Amino acid sequence: MQYDLVCRPASTAVRFALDAGESITCEVGAMIAMSSGITVETTSKSRGGGGGIMKGIKRMFTGENFFLNHFTSQQSQQTLLIGPTLLGDCIHHPLRSGSMVVQGSSWLASSSSIDIDATWRGFTSAIFSGESMFWVKCSGTGDLFLSSYGAIYPIQVDGEYTVDTGHIVAFEDTLQFKIGKAGKSLIGSFLGGEGLVCKFQGQGKLYCQSHNPPSLGKLLGPKLKPR
Amino acid sequence: MLDPNQQFRGGVFHSSIPDGRIGADIRITPSEIIAEPSAEALTVMDPSQVARMPRWVIPLSECQVDLGGASGRMVFCRNKERDLTIFCEERGFAAMLGDRSGGMLSEQLHVVKKRQAGENHRFRFWLTVGVVATLLFGVIGYYSVLAAARLAIAAVPISMDEKIGSMAMQTIEKEQKLAADHPATKFVTEIVDRLKPHAAIPEMNFKVIVIESSEVNAFALPGGQMVVYTGLLKKAESGEQVAGVLAHEMSHATLRHGLQRVSQSLGIVAAIQFLIGDAGGLLALGSQAAQTSILTSYSRQSETEADLEGARMLHEAGLDPESISAFFDKLKKEDGDIPGVLVWVSSHPLHEQRIESIAKFKSTLAKKEYTPLDLDLATVKESLK
Ligand SMILES: [Zn+2]
Repeated sequence: MQYDLVCRPASTAVRFALDAGESITCEVGAMIAMSSGITVETTSKSRGGGGGIMKGIKRMFTGENFFLNHFTSQQSQQTLLIGPTLLGDCIHHPLRSGSMVVQGSSWLASSSSIDIDATWRGFTSAIFSGESMFWVKCSGTGDLFLSSYGAIYPIQVDGEYTVDTGHIVAFEDTLQFKIGKAGKSLIGSFLGGEGLVCKFQGQGKLYCQSHNPPSLGKLLGPKLKPR
Repeated sequence: MLDPNQQFRGGVFHSSIPDGRIGADIRITPSEIIAEPSAEALTVMDPSQVARMPRWVIPLSECQVDLGGASGRMVFCRNKERDLTIFCEERGFAAMLGDRSGGMLSEQLHVVKKRQAGENHRFRFWLTVGVVATLLFGVIGYYSVLAAARLAIAAVPISMDEKIGSMAMQTIEKEQKLAADHPATKFVTEIVDRLKPHAAIPEMNFKVIVIESSEVNAFALPGGQMVVYTGLLKKAESGEQVAGVLAHEMSHATLRHGLQRVSQSLGIVAAIQFLIGDAGGLLALGSQAAQTSILTSYSRQSETEADLEGARMLHEAGLDPESISAFFDKLKKEDGDIPGVLVWVSSHPLHEQRIESIAKFKSTLAKKEYTPLDLDLATVKESLK
C-alpha cells in the first residue's frame, strides 16, 4: 500500500494507491473520492478480527462513529482519497509495536491489521480537562493516519512534558498521562486562564495540534442559529 | 507456578534502534532480562537493518524498575547507565521479575507504586480544594449580583414598575374581562381598597380586574395591577380567603419582585442601566421580559417575603393573617391532586412550610380582635353562574 499526503498543511488529504486485495479502515465520512474498483463495507468490527457491537458502542463514547468503513481494492492501481472533518493537517504514524492512544476525533484511518478499541481515561480527566472520557486505542502493526485541527507537532518526550488540554492528538503507550495544574497554585492556574494541563511522563512519541476544537466550538457555538 | 521459559511481548528503547523504539520479545533468566526484536518488528524492517539488530540485556542485579505508560501498569526496566529501557505491559511480567530477582525488584516496584499513589492522592486533595474555592467564588459572585440588583431596584422610580406592568397587561387576554360594575369586580376592588392604606407603598396605583376563566389563579404585575380569575372566586369560602390571596399578591408588587425577576434574568447589566437611567434600552429589554410568566413566577425567598408582608397588611387592616394559609389549605386538601387547574397553588409550592411560617409570624404580632369583612361572597358566586 502506498500513500501520500496532499495539500499539506492547511487542508490535508491522504491519497492511497491500492493494489488488488489491499484494504484500509477509515472513519465514517472520511472518504472524499475513490476509483471504481474499490468496494466499501460498513461494519462495527475492525478488520483485524476483534470488535463487534460492544467495540462499536465503546467507540461512540470516544466521539468516533459506531461504524467503520473498510475500503478494499478489487483491482490494481486504485486510488482512494480521504480527509478529516476539521481543517488541518494529517500525519502518518507507522505503528510497529505496542499501541497508540488517540484522542477521539483525531483517528482518521489505519491499516486493516490494526485493532481499534476504546480506552477509558477516567472521570477526573474528563471533567477537569474537557477531554473525552474514552480515547481510541490503536494496536498492532501497520500504518496509522491521524488528523489534527491546525498544524500537527510530533514531540519525542523523554522525561516530562506539559500540553494544554484539547491540544493532544495522540501518544504512545509508553507515555503516562496525568492531569496537573499549570502553575504552582491551583487557583493561580485557573485565574491564569491555563487551568489544568496534561502532563506526560516517560519516554515516547507525542503528537500535539496547534488549535483546539473545543475553543472553536465555544467561539462559534453562540453565533450559530439554532436549527 | 511461573513458567521459567515464558516469553513476554514488550519493547525496547535504545539509541541504536531506528526511531529509538522497537517491539521485542522478552525473557527473564535467573540473572538477566533479555529482549530480542519481535518477528513483526523484523518484517517491516529493512533487511540491512535486521542483520544489525542485536539483543539487549539488562543484568537483574543492576536493573532499575519503574511503572508508567498510558495504562499506568507498564513496567520499565532500565540499566545502570539508563540508556537502555526494556518495557512490558503483559500480565505476569512484574511477578516474574520479582521472582527471578529474589524479591528485590518487587520491593522496588512496591516503592514506586506507593509513591505514585501518594502523588495522586495529593493532587486529588488540591483539586478538591480548587473546586470548592471556585464554587465559593461563584456563590459569592451570585449573591453580590443579587444584592446589587436589589440596591439598583431601590433606586429605580415606581413609574418604571408601572411601565413594565402596563406592557405585560397588554399581553393578557382581556376579552373575558368582567365589567367594572360587575359584582365580582366590585367585590375584589373593595378588598383592595381596604388593604391599600396598609401597603408598604400606599401611593402605588393598585388596580384589580376580574377575568372569566376556570383557572384558580390570581397575580399582580409590577406597579400594582392585579388580575383575579373567576375560578379563584368560585373556590374561595370567604372574603377573607380572597383578601389573603390579594394581600400576598399586592406584596409582590410593593416588594417589587417582578423587577427583581427582570433584573435577575437580564442580569446586572440591565440593573446598571436602571441606575444610569437608560430607560429606552431598558423598555426594549423589558418588553421581551414582559410576559406574565416571567414577571409572576418568583423565587421561594420572594414567596416567603410576600407571605409575611401580606400577613402584616392583613393584620394592620384588621383581618386575620392566617387567611392566606386558609385558602391554601383548602385548595390543597380538596383538589391537591388535580394538576393544571390550580395554577395559583402550583406556582406557590411548599405550602406546609409557608403555613408554618405565617403562623409563627402571627404569634409575634400584638394580639388583636379581627373584624370579618362585611362582604357578600355568596352573591358574587351567584352572579358568576
Ligand atoms: Zn406569590
